[in-house]
Amino acid sequence: MSSKEELLQRLSDGVVEMEEDDVAEAAQEYLDAGYPAFDGIMEGLVDGMNRASQLYEEEEYFVTDVLLCSDAMYAGLDILRPYLPEVSNDDKVTGVIGVVEGDTHDIGKNLVKIMLETAGFNMIDLGRDVPLAKFVETAKEENADFVCLSTLMTTTMGGMETVIHLLEEAGIRDRVKVMIGGGPISQKYADKIGADGYSQNAVEAVKLAKKLLDIA
Amino acid sequence: MLTPKERLKMILDGRKVDRPACICPGGMMNMVTSELMDRVKVYMPDAHKDARMMADLAKAVYEEGCFENYGVPFCMTVEAEEMGAQVDMGTNVYEPHVTGYVIGSVSEYQKLHQVDINQGRAKVVLDAIRILKEETKDVPIVGNLTGPISTASSVMEPVTFYKELRKKNQEAHAYMEFITNQLITFGRAQIEAGADLIAVSDPSGTGEILGPKYFKEFAVTYINRLLDALQEEKMGTIVHICGQMSPVYKEVDEVRSSALSFDSIVSMKEAREHLKDRILMGNVSTYALEFGDPDRVKMLTRSCVKSGSDIISPACGLGMKSPLRNVQSVLAGVKEIYVQ
Repeated sequence: MSSKEELLQRLSDGVVEMEEDDVAEAAQEYLDAGYPAFDGIMEGLVDGMNRASQLYEEEEYFVTDVLLCSDAMYAGLDILRPYLPEVSNDDKVTGVIGVVEGDTHDIGKNLVKIMLETAGFNMIDLGRDVPLAKFVETAKEENADFVCLSTLMTTTMGGMETVIHLLEEAGIRDRVKVMIGGGPISQKYADKIGADGYSQNAVEAVKLAKKLLDIA
Repeated sequence: MLTPKERLKMILDGRKVDRPACICPGGMMNMVTSELMDRVKVYMPDAHKDARMMADLAKAVYEEGCFENYGVPFCMTVEAEEMGAQVDMGTNVYEPHVTGYVIGSVSEYQKLHQVDINQGRAKVVLDAIRILKEETKDVPIVGNLTGPISTASSVMEPVTFYKELRKKNQEAHAYMEFITNQLITFGRAQIEAGADLIAVSDPSGTGEILGPKYFKEFAVTYINRLLDALQEEKMGTIVHICGQMSPVYKEVDEVRSSALSFDSIVSMKEAREHLKDRILMGNVSTYALEFGDPDRVKMLTRSCVKSGSDIISPACGLGMKSPLRNVQSVLAGVKEIYVQ
């Protein structure tokens, strides 16, 4: 039988190497051996995903690679998560994420979501072509700490500013941070529309969220 | 004095001309704005479905001093729609976009319709080209195609598609063959209808998404297969690819188009250094065209000319709310340089 360390390594490597089936198998063996699910997730799966993000930052991995790594991670998560001690989502920092109305390009948004989830945020994914008011409603209902808006097109980027106004109108702008990103978006644009931050890619988005929300 | 058509032809043939051409092809690189629609009282989304209106809007682009070409269509959903995808035609400020996919996996491609050039919006585009050919003479007509990767990821969920390039590699190739054959049919019909050149935009096939290996194996392979299958007698071809080129300059140089076009994230100077012998098109910031002012647009235009762009063009087409005076400043900017 493999040791805990060996299995953690196999989980981590499986994520980096995009071996969905092997990750699922290793996760099951890990559970059967009686090791704690939490460590398996953090030191195995999340460690692997962090290594994959590092490779992405170094341009060794590209978007398709990261998507497959995340599939492997989720395959392991599906098995380990039911064995986690109960933690209510109230304790977690919650973010709402989506692609603004009029745009259906969601690859970037999906990557950001994966990276934020990996980092421990509770993410509510509204998908793409999301009506602007939906961001605000969801932020309110879910008591969200931040909202992430994405678009790849200049024609739809104006919607981001509208969301910020709607948050103001709803009276929750001061307790919801707004992060934006996407092809035509820049720090300058974030400043112009009064967003709290801009990030150029998914790895940066995690750093930004932590900075805005004062999380170490 | 060269006509716009003569000038562009000479540039694409690699000959010396008086100044760079200034065009915006259409398709993904939309060049119609709200203000332009108001000028000629022809509006989207109706113009996406009516050949006469489409041709009139395309003409207005040249007649109002925006760009030195005609181009149709004004979106990148025609091919996907003809293959069965549901498309929302958008509004006078939003472009049409796909709202319903046809298949769930590359292995299901037999469920897709073949593109029929005698019906639907494929026919609208071809009729619009015929009208332009009939009614105009000295201005080049650009027919636009959505690139193979972008078309392939418009009729199914892109995330699944990207993953299956690796997971179902062989089936993915069969799927890409099918998609490319549809584009060849539509592209050849556009040239027969009177298009002088064909612009292929493949924004979903970026080096950043695919990485160099898959960019070469899928994007370059099928773009080239499409280009090679178009008639010889056309004036030329333009291929536009989005995103950073730094991971894939070598692979991009293998694309056999007459001209290459990049978005504004790519520095024209850097592109020129890496692609010394290529005809380059671009890349005045689409963002600056919408949110900047004429002075800034002219400054960016001058910088493109200086950096060695042969065909000056908005980097990713135009946002529909771009002010006309900004749009007109690209061509005006090019002309100013060469008057002096």
